[in-house]
Amino acid sequence: MKKVKVATVWLDGCSGCHMSLLDMDAAIISLAQKIDLVYGPLVDTQEFPEDVDVTLVEGAVSSQDDVTKLQKIRQRTHLLISLGDCAVTGNVPAMRNSIPVNKLLQRIYVEGAQEGKVVPTDGVPALLKQARPLREFVKVDLCLPGCPPPAKTIAAVISDLVDGKKREAALAVKFG
Amino acid sequence: MPNKKLSIRIDGELISALEGQTILQAAKVNGKYIPTLCDLEGLTPVGACRLCIVEVSGIDRLIPACTTPIQDGMSVTTTSARLTHNRRISLELLFVERNHVCAACVSNGHCELQSLASAMGISTVRFAYNYPKLGVDLSHPRFLLDHNRCILCTRCVRVCADLEGAHVWEMTSRGIHARIMSDLNQRWGDSRSCTNCGKCVQACPTGALAEKGCAVEEMVKRTDNISSLIQRREVQA
Amino acid sequence: MPRIQDIGAFSAVREAGLAKLVPAVPRIGIGMGTCGRGNGAEGLYHAFAEAIERSGINAVLAGVGCFGACFQEPLANIRLPGFPLVILHRVQANDAERILNDVSRGNLPPDLIYCKVEEWDHVTASIKYGRGYPEIPLWNDVPFFKSQKKIVLRNCGFINPDDIEEYIAIGGYQALYKVLIDGRPESVIEQMKASKLRGRGGAGYPTGNKWEFMTKVKADRKYIICNADEGDPGAYMNRNEIESDPHSLLEGMIIGGYVMGASEGIIYIRAEYPLAVHRLNRAIEQGREYGLLGENILGRGFKFDIEVVEGAGAFVCGEETALIASLEGQAGRPRPRPPFPAQKGLWGYPTNINNVETWYNVAPIVTKGPAWFSETGSPKSSGTKVFSLVGKVTSTGLVEMPLGTPLKTFIYNIGEGGIGGRQIKAVQTGGPSGGCIPPEMFDTPVDYESLTQLGSIMGSGGMVVMDEDNCMVDVARYFVEFTHSESCGKCIPCRVGLNKCLRILNRVTEGAGTMHHLELLDELSRYIRECSLCGLGQTAPNPVLTTLRHFRTEFEDHIVSRRCQAGVCEELALSPCENSCPLHMNIPRFLQLYKEDRLEDAFEAVIMDNPLPSSTGRVCQHPCDSRCRRQTIDEAVNMREVHRFIADSILLSNRYEHMVKRILVRRLEHTGRKIAIAGAGPAGLTAAFYLALLGHDVTVYDAKPAAGGMLRFALPEYRLPKTALEREIDLIERLGVKFIFNTRIGFDIPLNDLDDRFDAVFISIGTWKESWVYLPGTELKGVYPALMFLEATARGEEVPLGPKVAIIGGGNAAIDSARTALRKGADVTVFYRRERKDMPAIEEETQAAKDEGAKFVFLAAPHRVIGDAAGKVKSIEIVKTRLGEYDASGRRKPISTDEIRRYECDSVIFAVGESVDLDFARASGLSLKESGTIEVNRFTLETSRPRFYGGGDVVTGASNVSNAMAYGKQAARNIDRQLMETNRWAKIVPEIEFGNEVPEEPSPNHRHNGHILAVNARVRSNAEVVAGFTHEETLDESCRCLRCDVKVANVS
Repeated sequence: MKKVKVATVWLDGCSGCHMSLLDMDAAIISLAQKIDLVYGPLVDTQEFPEDVDVTLVEGAVSSQDDVTKLQKIRQRTHLLISLGDCAVTGNVPAMRNSIPVNKLLQRIYVEGAQEGKVVPTDGVPALLKQARPLREFVKVDLCLPGCPPPAKTIAAVISDLVDGKKREAALAVKFG
Repeated sequence: MPNKKLSIRIDGELISALEGQTILQAAKVNGKYIPTLCDLEGLTPVGACRLCIVEVSGIDRLIPACTTPIQDGMSVTTTSARLTHNRRISLELLFVERNHVCAACVSNGHCELQSLASAMGISTVRFAYNYPKLGVDLSHPRFLLDHNRCILCTRCVRVCADLEGAHVWEMTSRGIHARIMSDLNQRWGDSRSCTNCGKCVQACPTGALAEKGCAVEEMVKRTDNISSLIQRREVQA
Repeated sequence: MPRIQDIGAFSAVREAGLAKLVPAVPRIGIGMGTCGRGNGAEGLYHAFAEAIERSGINAVLAGVGCFGACFQEPLANIRLPGFPLVILHRVQANDAERILNDVSRGNLPPDLIYCKVEEWDHVTASIKYGRGYPEIPLWNDVPFFKSQKKIVLRNCGFINPDDIEEYIAIGGYQALYKVLIDGRPESVIEQMKASKLRGRGGAGYPTGNKWEFMTKVKADRKYIICNADEGDPGAYMNRNEIESDPHSLLEGMIIGGYVMGASEGIIYIRAEYPLAVHRLNRAIEQGREYGLLGENILGRGFKFDIEVVEGAGAFVCGEETALIASLEGQAGRPRPRPPFPAQKGLWGYPTNINNVETWYNVAPIVTKGPAWFSETGSPKSSGTKVFSLVGKVTSTGLVEMPLGTPLKTFIYNIGEGGIGGRQIKAVQTGGPSGGCIPPEMFDTPVDYESLTQLGSIMGSGGMVVMDEDNCMVDVARYFVEFTHSESCGKCIPCRVGLNKCLRILNRVTEGAGTMHHLELLDELSRYIRECSLCGLGQTAPNPVLTTLRHFRTEFEDHIVSRRCQAGVCEELALSPCENSCPLHMNIPRFLQLYKEDRLEDAFEAVIMDNPLPSSTGRVCQHPCDSRCRRQTIDEAVNMREVHRFIADSILLSNRYEHMVKRILVRRLEHTGRKIAIAGAGPAGLTAAFYLALLGHDVTVYDAKPAAGGMLRFALPEYRLPKTALEREIDLIERLGVKFIFNTRIGFDIPLNDLDDRFDAVFISIGTWKESWVYLPGTELKGVYPALMFLEATARGEEVPLGPKVAIIGGGNAAIDSARTALRKGADVTVFYRRERKDMPAIEEETQAAKDEGAKFVFLAAPHRVIGDAAGKVKSIEIVKTRLGEYDASGRRKPISTDEIRRYECDSVIFAVGESVDLDFARASGLSLKESGTIEVNRFTLETSRPRFYGGGDVVTGASNVSNAMAYGKQAARNIDRQLMETNRWAKIVPEIEFGNEVPEEPSPNHRHNGHILAVNARVRSNAEVVAGFTHEETLDESCRCLRCDVKVANVS
């Protein structure tokens, strides 16, 4: 049987969703036999591959870099999953949304800094005015809310997908 | 004079209820579930959240169960695709209106808004989030008011007026700018009418009114206390 | 004056009032409503008062209410004893002196006369003013008042609203007296029920039933409320009624109070209506003084008083439960019903609330009886309704019409159509929660049910007319913004739902909308309508739902092509002129470049926007003129003549070769893609120009022996000399475009053949088929189709016309034929079945034809052509028409009469419309529209056949040069994008730097116009009639631009 190509992506989030993904205990062994993890923080690939079957995206969209990345991912993925509250609702990263970006950066990197009081510009992508959920940028096929979504739910959704089923996972989790 | 008994149908089932009862009361007594959010047993119903809408045969419009008195022979439908669709939108709109960052909320896991959304199978909302800038009133020594989580159900307004008699809370401004305010828009801590009874906190369905010192998921509300208090008052009266 | 306690006292007051109303000396009445005052009525009143004092002329001066014709303000009326009351319009303070002088001599100022009233039916009584002045039209012969029926407005504009005696003089308080004498409230209820009067606040609940309900509730205290919280934008019926006739309201309420057993009445009125509040308070004082309010009313032992409460202006307080909350001192937020106010209202007591206008109908029903009342109106909605007809309509004002009158009567008969003949796009009824109704539905009778069926509402009677300058997306946005800001915030659908709706609509007007947004909008709107707590939320989505239903294409334009045709949504347009130009030429740019003395850059800017600039510089319909903001100062910038001059200066000079090189450089690298274009008219040439620039191989086929289409073969030489066109075509040829002439697509070359040989095909054939009227005699020698005649002339062929020519039709082809025939020395008569203002031909052209000696016979349709023995035309018979009902185009349909007239003539030219010859399209399997044109995707111009595109007349039916060219441009863009799978358009858009300074002061120059050749110099020659600008004029004109394209960056 051909293995399902799965990618995971980490945008503006705390990586908790990825932790939860790894937290599925023994289920990971049977799952590993059915999937190929082709891209993500857990593997070494640099460039997002073409023709991915399932991509799980953690985190909100916070920078122009995130937008570009997400659009590319969408083009190259059959099924896109918003993984966790940040990807689904904006959640904690969106708590900055009512504060103007320059004020925010000033507060953190200048007023709040002990030393090197300067807003970093080199090598870091510029922030968008607001961090927003994936759905506001690209079509999302499935949403898996939770902070983080329970490992069991993630496991169930992925193995369903591997078996060719698609279901909304909300029944098992709380929203918001 | 005891109230007259009326016969009505809820979801096809014939039940009897007392004249003067609302559809919601009749349904509850007979073990029929109708989702609600602004309603709290014992408080004057206001029909604001529109989650308790039901279909009544012969009427095109959707009817709020909490404020509509039953009529003899009335036939009520509590679940249908049309009702679910509309209730779902109401919930979605509440989520996008303010900043319900549930993951960081004291009421996470004990929130009526959250559990209704889960019960309705909501996994995402289709509307763009507003992300408004809203304040938190921490001036009260024991409690806090977080406007980010307020859904304007006005339970606090009513419990304070109907039960405590202090009339601390009122709604100010209009439309999307409407807010809960204490006294004449003073800080809660400066309110001279507040008796610090905490009933508003217990009545609040979300984490908008909470006890200070609670961490995430720690604020559990006792709305049943409010209802039973009202019941006992009524018996006394 | 003592309290009226018996009929004797009543009669005495009445006599006193009549002596003031119809005195034995001249009486001058000034319309002193807010509308009149806003137009200077107060100054006028004082001017008269001073003039009377100064001159010592014995005349009565009175302030009266408003007669309703707001567009004629300030209104005044004058009555000389024994003569009709004459209504004067647009009277200014400095007219007072001379009017008074005229009056003292028994004359009237002829220039200010509007109409006269010989006898007035106040319903409760009638006043005979007198007969005379046969030259002055009766009030109801004036279009604005024709078919109006004044029941509610029965006293407005006649009596002095501040004088109770004048009200009593016209039968006021008689109905109350009758009710009190009868002493049987139940019979009044019966009358109200039988009259079928329905609540005029908008919901249309039967008033009689409402009253009966209230009567049956037992309580020791009851309230009567008049809802005068009129808050709809564009609606001011109630304000005017109260300002003009406050006592009618009081009388209605007192009767209501008696019948329903209430002793307290409250008028809840907006604080923004100070004059109405003032007059009401004075009326109430007078009522108390005369014993009509307070204890023992009219000596019949009934006690009732009225209090005026001013609302703070929240729109939602018009909702009855919110109104009650507001009266109780709470925030104006509605509560669910039941309980209804009649059960539990103000302070918990039974309360009856009716709209102002409902109360105005009470006294008439009591006086004249329910049968009389229900004679007027439609079976389900009897009586009349007052509407405020406002917006883009010629005559605006308060209009009282029987319910059930079709919408078009309001708009076309009373309102006299769009301003300056502009096309009306929609009418919005019912205020901010009403819906927008398109012209196709103007047959709809205006009553509660019919309007609801269209997704609109009657509301309180606002009627806002919109024309092509209104963007329907913006209209929806505007109304949602209003209801959104007036939402009380109590229920989720209205509070959050409207907020989301508004945010989505904002996105669409900013050009950031998606088609998914439209689905969400629709879903949200239905949800808000279904789930909101009160009427505000339940009706607030109506503007969205109706515009989505009737004007969906406008939403799609905003989303897909990022265009707002009306030019309202600023983010979507460079400037108003650019937005109105079918080719979207960057007009401010070429004006500025010329101003900077950069002719070659200006030419490049022009030709890259518009490949036929010389031709369009002469014949374009110049929609830019009507949009130019310079009109607010003086006249529009003559943009067309400037680009004509710029184009001619290069195309017709020795700088041409140099410029050709500059353009050829812009050509992109060769792509190897082959594109066929069918039709070398404006659309085909434009597409060819851009596709060649984009590097494609372009072959253009045409059935004619040369390129240019209608420009070459239909437009006469005197309008468009062919030298410039030749150059324009030459440039296109030099870009590498191949032309194959005398070849008909679909006949000489099958479509399948093109499919095999080309990567894309653009079909842009013109409307060369003359519509034909088959009448007796059209087969005779000397009967010609206009296009055939024009084409033959263009080719230099002689068409025998004879000395007298009859031309049938009113379009551009008819006028071109007429002027061409005049140049052949013929005596020309044009017959047209409607009136001159209805002619589709360009107005300047019609005028030119007239100047050149063409005769016009309007309201005349061809009947038959009569020939002689040789089969040659001898004469034509026409049938006179009269104008009937208005059609959806806003013009009246011609209807044949029995009258037939004969005109001698030697030839007849039929110019009754052109269409596309589509036999080939049918054979090729392209799907067609009912109108016989090719069906294409509005945005991509794809036909039903892959890789085949269509544009120009073949898609729209006969249109004009610029529109056709716009299609060519759009097609080129889409064909390239689809062939190359990327958007390369920006690569051929020239980036020319130019100054962006907005002139500090507008240039003082006035508009220059083209120089028109004198009639005698032009009528016998083919010389160009309108000569172009000089360099100085062009420069002047360029400097007149206000630079609307320069946007000041938002300062944050």
